[in-house]
Amino acid sequence: MKTEQAQPETGANSFAAMNNRIGRVVAEAVGRTLRDRGVSRMLIALVAAFAFFAIMRPQIFLGPINMQNIMVAAPEVGVIAIAMMLAMLTGGIDLSLVSIANLSAVTMSTLFTMMAASNPATGQSMTVPLVLIGLLVGAACGLLNGLLISLVGITPILATLATMQILNGIAIVWTGGKTLYGAPAALTTFGKTALGPVPMLFIVFILVAIVIATVVRSTALGRKLELQGANPVAARFSGIPSRSVLIASYTIGGTLAGLAGVLFLCRNPTASADYGASYVLLVIVIAVLGGTNPNGGFATVAGVVLATLTLQVVASGFTALRLSPYQYSIAQGVILVVVMILDTINWSRPKLRKPAVTTDSASLQTTQVGSIKKDKEQE
Amino acid sequence: MQLLRKFRGANNEGSLALILLVVVLGMSLLNPVFFSVNTAFSILRAATVPMILALAVLLVIISGGIDVSFPVVAIGSAYTAVTICLKTGFDPGLPAIFGMAIIIGGLLGLVNGFVIAKFRLPTLIVTLGTQGIFFGAMLVYVGTRYYPSLPASMAALSAVNVVELTTGAGRAYLHVLVLLSIAIAIAIWAVLKFTMFGRALYAIGGDVEGARRAGIRVVRTQLLIYVLVGMVAAIGGVAYVVMSRSANPQDLVGGELDIIAAVVLGGASIFGGRGSVLGTVLGVLLIQVINNSLLLVGVPSAWLRAAVGLLLILGVGVQAVSARRNSQRIHTVDDAVEAAGPELEKVS
Repeated sequence: MKTEQAQPETGANSFAAMNNRIGRVVAEAVGRTLRDRGVSRMLIALVAAFAFFAIMRPQIFLGPINMQNIMVAAPEVGVIAIAMMLAMLTGGIDLSLVSIANLSAVTMSTLFTMMAASNPATGQSMTVPLVLIGLLVGAACGLLNGLLISLVGITPILATLATMQILNGIAIVWTGGKTLYGAPAALTTFGKTALGPVPMLFIVFILVAIVIATVVRSTALGRKLELQGANPVAARFSGIPSRSVLIASYTIGGTLAGLAGVLFLCRNPTASADYGASYVLLVIVIAVLGGTNPNGGFATVAGVVLATLTLQVVASGFTALRLSPYQYSIAQGVILVVVMILDTINWSRPKLRKPAVTTDSASLQTTQVGSIKKDKEQE
Repeated sequence: MQLLRKFRGANNEGSLALILLVVVLGMSLLNPVFFSVNTAFSILRAATVPMILALAVLLVIISGGIDVSFPVVAIGSAYTAVTICLKTGFDPGLPAIFGMAIIIGGLLGLVNGFVIAKFRLPTLIVTLGTQGIFFGAMLVYVGTRYYPSLPASMAALSAVNVVELTTGAGRAYLHVLVLLSIAIAIAIWAVLKFTMFGRALYAIGGDVEGARRAGIRVVRTQLLIYVLVGMVAAIGGVAYVVMSRSANPQDLVGGELDIIAAVVLGGASIFGGRGSVLGTVLGVLLIQVINNSLLLVGVPSAWLRAAVGLLLILGVGVQAVSARRNSQRIHTVDDAVEAAGPELEKVS
């Protein structure tokens, strides 16, 4: 009924097209429901959120500007969320990702300003090396995390909490707490260009998602990451080199965070130590909503991409409805808690009967591990 | 050896105290200005609010959880209480304001505890969600206004000092709320040490399933933990508002990881089952002393964050390495006898 009322405002064609699209999406969602919990529920949430705001405020929400805004804003959060997903896949967490992204952006901006000061032309011509340096900063920070976690043996949450403080501190000292201006024009132009209706930034995001999805799904490294997260002890005794797997995981995550720093600069030629401080917790929310198991072992990139889009749709929908960002903060929390609760309700029945069995197998496992350890020691 | 082990304490409190002592001594030698009553009082004053919040977090961490919503609970309940007083123009007096904030904090904690205990969800994720909900709800339904002046009774409290001394370097004040943080520390220490609830916290943190089979009511205890955390956090929030002499709803929020870092530095295990009030107090003090001394030495305040991070890596790294070394050691029966020490000998 409501769609019919809205029809004269937007034109029948676009609505028919949208209906078609929704119809197809729903059919696909239903087909996937049994296969993939994170993907399916996020698909449903995305469609529901989209439909809700499209019906409430079709003129503003469905306008091309809003659609573009969603696609331009999503990549930087989404790329960090994918990095967070990688850390969570191995059963860890990476709180330092946003600090890494900021440090990478600050490094690029500082180097660019330095070069541009001596000769504006060389500054502009150095775009590609600058981007590489940004990624390298990210990779180095990620490697540091990986070493602390795997070699020193610090718990991921504490190691990355510490590196978050350190990297953020370095960025604050470096910038003096101020916002830096200056980025290669090529990056800014890249941030503004679009392929048809789709901004380049969004294409980068999708490419990153595809690459990481392929790595997780069809490479040996991806399988090792999953096994490491599912059961570290079992992984160790099946000969998975947990150290190098963890180092690889955090280094890739750091590199992605460095890429997010590049995206920061593409969207806005400024860099500061405190940019996106609220992202730290937001990306955890996205990763969990996207079906990542916080205890490790299970994650889908598609789910994370959909969760990113859903939250972005809700955010822009709230703006379209003239609701405050604080109300968005409430919505974000409610979505997270409700989704988590719905999950347990679906899963609680088989779980209730399980404990006796699972604990037995767990204790069995530890005794086995113990005996293996003893054997080793006797040797 | 026995003495050394005893001094180190169960959670490295001894080493922490030693580091604290070394820093204080080193600073005093480097800069005689440091070693003064003024410095000590200002460090205590700066440590008051972090201390109360850290003690709240300690309870959660011992139970094997992690709470990131406590700064919002703290400032939310204090700000709400202040707003109610200012909006109605009625000042009910200090105990009533504290009581109001504690009730609000307890209710918010109840929400956390209910979701966590009832649905057995990961605590980090739940409190992330409730953090957003509480924060948004406070700003939408209570207000976003910054109140530069407080109700008369609170404003009066902010000027009360326990000790006022005139030293060579000027007048030194010890704020009355320092006593409050000490009282809370003692209370929580007593709860952890002497009550069944306290032992249940350690048991749940050690192994939930084990605790359940030992007859501990896990759900009820968890509910109680989060209610208690909300209440302690609310006290911290009121203390913060009183000491800053203004109420700003955006304050404190975002500092949750700093407080957690202090608690972990104090020897609490992020996996639960380990942690002590003494360690937490030392951890908070160490961070404050280091902050203060870095400033005195002339290190820019921007480095403070990095310093805390570095401290955390050192503290946790040393523990991780020594834990690994312990696990690699071959344990024999003689070893166990020696470790158990006199108690075992007494038995035999």
